[in-house]
Amino acid sequence: MLLFRSEQHVDRWCQQWNRPRGGTLSVQQGWKLAQLWYGDRFDPDWRGKTVPEAQAVFREIGLTGDFWRLG
Amino acid sequence: MSVQPPRTKQPSALDHELRLFIYRHFLREGHAPTVAGMAQGVSRPLRQVRQALARLCQTHAFVLEEKGELWRAAPFSAVATAFTAEVGKRRWWGNCIWDALGILAALKRDGRILAACACCNTDMTLQVQHSRLQEKTGVIHFAVPARHWYDDIVFT
Repeated sequence: MLLFRSEQHVDRWCQQWNRPRGGTLSVQQGWKLAQLWYGDRFDPDWRGKTVPEAQAVFREIGLTGDFWRLG
Repeated sequence: MSVQPPRTKQPSALDHELRLFIYRHFLREGHAPTVAGMAQGVSRPLRQVRQALARLCQTHAFVLEEKGELWRAAPFSAVATAFTAEVGKRRWWGNCIWDALGILAALKRDGRILAACACCNTDMTLQVQHSRLQEKTGVIHFAVPARHWYDDIVFT
């Protein structure tokens, strides 16, 4: 997951590297995702998220559609 | 990031102890422990530690490099990357921008992410103050669809 100044820079990078465009989110969404995903990571009884739990996190920050489907 | 796949075995007490030892080592020292250091740290034989590491790797949160040493203990990277998380004078690497932000999120501390635009290499510093990200502009791109993230985690 890479960071870009803008959507235009994502497009330019995809052209440069001949890669199909993937999924994008704003840095604000990225911070929210990081908090939801990693907020409990150092808890002694942490366990990994199940696929439905992970999908619910994506949904909460507006990441829906086939690209963000885990299972 | 890491999604829990179906596990063949429940995590053991050693798995818990080792996981916490690894994270505490990263937090204290700023880098990953060696496998030998882990064995010493949890007072267990190397063979048991390698078995516990293999179980931890089933979570996808932990990834080993080809020689069997730690490559990643999400959100920390054991190797230098272009994504630095900084809290005060302390610094850690994340394997991607999500993980670098994840270091601040896991620590629940304000700090900065030192990174650059992947296209033009312009410096991009992301600042978290009072648990809020200050920057409003900037885009994170995922090249790989979510269901294929773990096909090749290094590329992802």
